[in-house]
Amino acid sequence: MHELGVANEILNIALSESDRHAAKKVVSIRLRVGVLRAIEPGNLSFLFGHVARGTPADGAVLEIDEEPVRVDCPSCGVSDARSIPWECPTCGGAGISATGGESLEIVSLELDA
Amino acid sequence: MGTGGKVRVEVERSILRAADEASRGIRELLRERGIYAINLISSPGSGKTTLIEALLSRFEGKGGVAVVEGDIETDIDAERIRRLGVQVRQINTRSSCHILPEQLLRALAEMDLSGTRLLIVENVGNLVCPAEVPLGEDTRVVLLSVTEGDEKPLKYPLVFRTSDILVITKTDLLPHVRFDVSRVRRAARAANPEVEIFETSAVTGEGLPALLDRFESLGAAKCTSSASPTRS
Ligand SMILES: [Zn+2]
Repeated sequence: MHELGVANEILNIALSESDRHAAKKVVSIRLRVGVLRAIEPGNLSFLFGHVARGTPADGAVLEIDEEPVRVDCPSCGVSDARSIPWECPTCGGAGISATGGESLEIVSLELDA
Repeated sequence: MGTGGKVRVEVERSILRAADEASRGIRELLRERGIYAINLISSPGSGKTTLIEALLSRFEGKGGVAVVEGDIETDIDAERIRRLGVQVRQINTRSSCHILPEQLLRALAEMDLSGTRLLIVENVGNLVCPAEVPLGEDTRVVLLSVTEGDEKPLKYPLVFRTSDILVITKTDLLPHVRFDVSRVRRAARAANPEVEIFETSAVTGEGLPALLDRFESLGAAKCTSSASPTRS
């Protein structure tokens, strides 16, 4: 259920931006969500729809760009993964380092002015 | 200006900014008072309260320690700590599965922190939500008991990535469970190459002196660096 807290934060930010631009309606919200955040896009959209009811963001669509983990492998270079792997997902090699996948950001909003 | 039509607004803003701001408030309060703070995170039942009890029983000068216990409903853990003669404060998080920085800030404002050097925060038992929310702590500690399985760092990478110290607990049970310590070390380092790893047992006392020494040296380093010569 931790998506509920996230949904509320998204709503707060969307409403304050919509106010600032004197918009009538929030049409869509583009998010960047890292795969390590344990956020299920379907749950988040459902909960957002629920908390946004009756506000100018009612019916706004969440456009979720998932940010993968970046795996740096000493033998074969860089590849993307859905989670932190034991070994390189491309060549199976060891000694990898995994970065990224932690984003939780609002990238942009589409407003109806 | 009332002409209608859609506009795109670039925001590029962290969704957790409000929580980040509250946690900065805590960090500031701790710095002013010269308090070193630890945030303990783990699944339910991996031994957070027992670890606190074991550390406190070895800690000289209990007047210098304060504990904040986070729990969804009960104050059972707070009672255990209170019996040791340490100042303890309960936060019931109710619907929230982690301590919110605003809740901790309010609790700290109501506590008597004069003379406190070390603050231990026991977060709600959960490896997902507490990882998202900084509490202004100096050291984030994740606990993993040997009964939980050795793939946890890969299943819950964010908490392992964001913790400074990993404490493997209940090592006295290693002969009885399928848990490969070297596999955990490898997985934890894949998530966070910087993480310091301690193996402990509150039953045998294994690893506790080393862990306590580490907390004391981290605490001492903070107090030296933040001590201002004009402070009374
Ligand atoms: Zn490779």
